[in-house]
Amino acid sequence: MRAETLKGHLDGILLAVLEPGPRHGYAIMEALRVRSGGQVDLPTGTVYPALHRLERAGLVEASWSAAGGRRRRVYRLTPAGRRALDTERITWRDFSAAVTTLLEPAPLAVTSP
Amino acid sequence: MSASGQPGRPFDGYLAELTAQLPGPARARAGIMAELRSGLLDAADAYRSAGLPPAEAALAAVAEFGDPAQVAAGFRAEIAAGQARRVAVSLLVTGPLVGLLWIVTAAASHLSAGPALGWHWAGPIPGLGVGICLVAAAAGVTAWGALAAIAATGRLTRWLPARPRRAPAAAAVAGYGAVCADGLGLVLLAAGLATLPGKLALAPAAGAAVASLARLLLAGRAARHCLRLRASLA
Repeated sequence: MRAETLKGHLDGILLAVLEPGPRHGYAIMEALRVRSGGQVDLPTGTVYPALHRLERAGLVEASWSAAGGRRRRVYRLTPAGRRALDTERITWRDFSAAVTTLLEPAPLAVTSP
Repeated sequence: MSASGQPGRPFDGYLAELTAQLPGPARARAGIMAELRSGLLDAADAYRSAGLPPAEAALAAVAEFGDPAQVAAGFRAEIAAGQARRVAVSLLVTGPLVGLLWIVTAAASHLSAGPALGWHWAGPIPGLGVGICLVAAAAGVTAWGALAAIAATGRLTRWLPARPRRAPAAAAVAGYGAVCADGLGLVLLAAGLATLPGKLALAPAAGAAVASLARLLLAGRAARHCLRLRASLA
């Protein structure tokens, strides 16, 4: 799945990846790949500006951590981020259910003889 | 980019190419570069664990991070938003302070020149009433632009996503509004000095003039910078 296809949903996807707990940038990318079964494959570099945008909006917060001898910027959901994720989930479920129904082949018109 | 034996080398080239496409001082980009470098190291570690030799793992990490131009474009929008917000906040904070200095000047002059000066000022200084209205209008434009820039860069973007170019444009409007407000204030002061020699309280007037001049120059520079940032966004 390419970046253009994901456009508009990347924010929600990043929030979902952070829901189980804090992660640093590369771990977010790995979780994205694993959770999507390899379907999502963005250029890893583009995830970082998206995370900074979410931070600016107050949906995630970041701090430097030095675990394992390497300094990494670790992101975690804020309460507002959790609420935004819930909203995104509901919106997506409604939207995808509607589109799924619409894209199905229309049932043959049943007319009584 | 050559596959050197040192895993750091391809990263240096990649990060240098990326940082060359970001505006502003290197200090402002240092955090971004440190974060990307640690990400590249993590990626290279992952490829090494998967069995690649170090040099190839480093190259694979760079390839995975993608076109530096694309990554830089994402960060340019973030840098522009941060800059626009800082400019907007400083204009909103300094506006009332400088305005207060002018009010003090007017009040002090008022006291030294007798009561109800506000009224007969309008006579002796040609166009004072119009001038004050223009200053107020320019201050209004400044406040409006600054608030728009803040709205386009902060928590409001959760509900009202803003296009990346909007924030630096609004901050530039605010900056030029401040240039007009402060410039008009200085023009009015010059008119006052020319037509009412000896009646203005000089100490507060000098303070207000210096503050307005400093704000005018800084706001003009910030506005031009914001316009450049805006132009650098797709």
